[in-house]
Amino acid sequence: MSEIPLAQAAKRVIPWWLLRHETMLALILLIALIGLGGMNSRFLTLDNLLNQGRLTTEVGLIALPMTFIIITGGIDLSVGSIVGLCAILLGYSWKTFGFPLPLAIGFSLLVGAAAGFLNGIVITKVKVPPLIMTIATLALYRGLAEGISQARSVRGYPEWFYFVGQENLLGVPAQLWLLLIAIVVSAVVLDRTTFGRTLYAIGNNETAARFSGLPVDRVKLIIYTLSGLMAGLSACVLVSRVTTTRSDMGIGYELDVIAAVVLGGTSIFGGVGTIWGTVVGIAMIQLLKNGLALTGVKGDATIVVIGTVLILSTLVASSLQRRREGV
Amino acid sequence: MTAMTLAGVGTDPRRRLKVLASQEALLAIAVIGLAIAVGLNNPRFLAARNLSDVLLGNAYIAVAAVGMSMVIVSGNIDISVGALIGVLATISGTLAVNGAPIVVAWLAALVAGVVVMAFQGVIIAYLRIPAIVVTLGMLSILKGGLISVTGGKWITDLPDSFHLADIELFGLLPFPVFLMILVTILAALWMRYSASGRAIYAVGGNAEAARLCGISQPRTIVMVFALHGLFAGAAALLYATQLRVIQSTVPPNLELTIITASVVGGVSILGGVGTVVGSTFAAVLIAEIASALVFIDVSPYWIRAVQGVLILVTVIADILRRRRMAGA
Amino acid sequence: MKLGLAAAFLGATLLAGTASAADKRWDGADDLPVNPLACSAGEANAAPAAKLYDGGKPTNAPDKAGKPITLVDVPKLIGIGYFNATSKGMQDAAKALGNVTVKTDGPTEAKIDEQIKFIDNYITSGVDGILFAANDPVAIAPVLKKALSKGIHVVGYDANSTPDAREWFVNQAEFNGIAKAMIDSMAKEAGEDKGFAIVTSTFTTPNQARWIAEMWAYAQKCHPKLKWLETVEAQEDNNLSFNQATTLINKHGDKLAGLFGMTSVATPASAEAVTKAKLCGKIAVVGLATPNAMKPYVNADCVKSVVLWNPVDLGYAATYVMRAVVDGSLKPGATSVEAGKLGKLNVVNGSEILLGSPFVFTKQNIKDFDF
Repeated sequence: MSEIPLAQAAKRVIPWWLLRHETMLALILLIALIGLGGMNSRFLTLDNLLNQGRLTTEVGLIALPMTFIIITGGIDLSVGSIVGLCAILLGYSWKTFGFPLPLAIGFSLLVGAAAGFLNGIVITKVKVPPLIMTIATLALYRGLAEGISQARSVRGYPEWFYFVGQENLLGVPAQLWLLLIAIVVSAVVLDRTTFGRTLYAIGNNETAARFSGLPVDRVKLIIYTLSGLMAGLSACVLVSRVTTTRSDMGIGYELDVIAAVVLGGTSIFGGVGTIWGTVVGIAMIQLLKNGLALTGVKGDATIVVIGTVLILSTLVASSLQRRREGV
Repeated sequence: MTAMTLAGVGTDPRRRLKVLASQEALLAIAVIGLAIAVGLNNPRFLAARNLSDVLLGNAYIAVAAVGMSMVIVSGNIDISVGALIGVLATISGTLAVNGAPIVVAWLAALVAGVVVMAFQGVIIAYLRIPAIVVTLGMLSILKGGLISVTGGKWITDLPDSFHLADIELFGLLPFPVFLMILVTILAALWMRYSASGRAIYAVGGNAEAARLCGISQPRTIVMVFALHGLFAGAAALLYATQLRVIQSTVPPNLELTIITASVVGGVSILGGVGTVVGSTFAAVLIAEIASALVFIDVSPYWIRAVQGVLILVTVIADILRRRRMAGA
Repeated sequence: MKLGLAAAFLGATLLAGTASAADKRWDGADDLPVNPLACSAGEANAAPAAKLYDGGKPTNAPDKAGKPITLVDVPKLIGIGYFNATSKGMQDAAKALGNVTVKTDGPTEAKIDEQIKFIDNYITSGVDGILFAANDPVAIAPVLKKALSKGIHVVGYDANSTPDAREWFVNQAEFNGIAKAMIDSMAKEAGEDKGFAIVTSTFTTPNQARWIAEMWAYAQKCHPKLKWLETVEAQEDNNLSFNQATTLINKHGDKLAGLFGMTSVATPASAEAVTKAKLCGKIAVVGLATPNAMKPYVNADCVKSVVLWNPVDLGYAATYVMRAVVDGSLKPGATSVEAGKLGKLNVVNGSEILLGSPFVFTKQNIKDFDF
């Protein structure tokens, strides 16, 4: 353990918050941005960055409640399938049931919440581990989306519906406002409320949290429901952006989301994590993909880079963490 | 609650044996019951040819699930296995086409599987990075890397002798089925009766206690991943040699099928509990369900939903049963 | 648990009952109108009414006539034989033209969401033209329109978008032409009054859904006694396709006299399933496939005909069309375009360029192709 004196030295010179995972990550991101920006003049333009925000909103919206869930030591693999199910039900209720579109949107959000609630209720009441429960509903919800839609797409929504997905509001992509609001609200909830502190308590030691009289089951039920609801919202934004519903929408989102959250320093073991870290994680993945593409790196090589970054950054973060704790 | 169940099961070996036996027995009953139910509906389902095709076509999933079960029992998870199987199949096929001795082509898949998985095991065990992060990253690396290297060019013109899956032992038992049974029995015996096998349960069930008993947790985890790599290599060989072409891409959602087989087979994702016999039965059950749904004319649009419900029902029933056992 | 399984089974059977009652058209996933061709080659097809140009137009595209241009090709997915072949055709054309650079890049899975992001990135990076094969005709439209609005030329091939989102679409073979070739081959090889089943990728894949719909219409019209048994999904996965085909063979027994493979993955896997079941000659396999994967089965006489256009030519033609658009030699209203070694290609349906009739590979000619 020859590193310890070094870490001590570092600790004296560098303020503690600079060694935090999120800060380190943000610095890495900044360096990468400048590097990639230097290689392609079209990368660091406001237009491009805002556009990347537009493209990543759907994943971002889901990553926020996923941060909550992972902080409690849980996981939700069914989010991508909930996106598919909600997208299908949005289209189906509008076209086949003849719901007015606002009602159809409300209905699909409700279905998202209900799907999340089902995950939550089985996880808390029957004590099925979240990983297994959500693997099962990953198949179930996708299957429902396929069965209900019979693989048919729904198209031809009214023009106004495309506003959220495609237009700008005050110079910023409309859906980015949704994401910004969601980020601020989640950050405040996690940082400043009893609810947020309960999440950490559950993640650190669930049994202890129970014995301290914290409403563990209720809190878990809420976050899984919230995860479903946000997946529903994400589905609506996605449909509005791409103008059509398909039953294969959102496939693979779960891995993108989890990668972003974990990259952002949230520990998969629970108890550690911030919304700010998740935001940096999302930005990092999206901008790396975009920046590499603009500098001429192909898609297959890009995912190799993303995978490597995921492992290496977690490695750096956890060794820093251990050094700090080791002191 | 679950912790209590585990503790209760762990302390009384006789009861544990009973619990595990009944878990496997239930799966076996489900496999047979399903066959009969579908057979009543369409007798062709029970034709020897169909039953053997179901086993033959899915044996590789059962073989991979044996390794996955060990990983999960040790308290870890592996998301990269599907991608790895794709890569190993390509390596082996490329060697065979380019004139390497067939045995070398076969061995290469096994060796490469062990190397990649042991490497992941080292990162997980010694650098203490969560398995889900390491294997998620590796999934990305293998998937992108495979396409970068091969450009997705299919491997064709494989030599006939390469087709391991075509071998029939004693002109009767197809090699994949034989391998599935052999691997399952060996792994089950090893995990139950050898010290190193039991160490996996100890590490997964209670890492601290395992450490106190003198079991090296990191070494056990690396061993588990290396073995998992070996099984993944074997699965890749069955996968690669079943058909005349190798796709050189990552089989979609394969990791999910494999994890599902382990979990439905009674391996607790919390670690410390489960047997590979259960996971093999579960892999057979899942394959049987997929085939049965076609036989009883379930509209293909609903197949995935039905599969989801079946997994859910199996898992919930299993948990309720364990709880009752623990309470009794 | 037994109870649970029983309940799930009951549910499954109920679902099955309601589902099989609804099966009229073969696939169900495509409700677009169908347009079957005439039954025998001699009969004249009703000439479609001449359509006006219905493609889009880039705004303020820089004039690069005769100047070097940089193109990007974004196929449905990269890393499969078919799109490797189209990509090769593009490189061939670029070499022949001399003033075109083209690069292929795209998602590793056929996901429309990823494909949109790739196109978006290339719009930002600034290319002169985009070639695409759409994962979804409607979902891809907004991003293509964005490209047009930035003065980038857009030409589709293999899988179309809505017409106004691109300038031209190079059509490999008309859907009803493929359908006719497939059904005629099946009727000839399996027999006019026999039963067959279909192995497809997914029901959401637009081209496959379209072909199946046209096959249904053409069979209704020209081979009404052919019996469709069912269609199964097998993704783009070799082993799954093989398992599904095997299940169909075991399920239907003697009733099954033919298998259609709708993708270049499903067809060889179906042929392998028939070979393994030792039913070569009893079950005809007809399908879309690339020659290399089919050679063993065609040479073993297990498969008699493989239907496909030449994907290398398709990529080649798409590049020539793009060059002609940039040079201004292919304008709305044109009736044909010069495409290098392929000669003159005709404009159909307003804004589509037809590559030609589908090609049928047989034992005699399959050795001449390598892709």
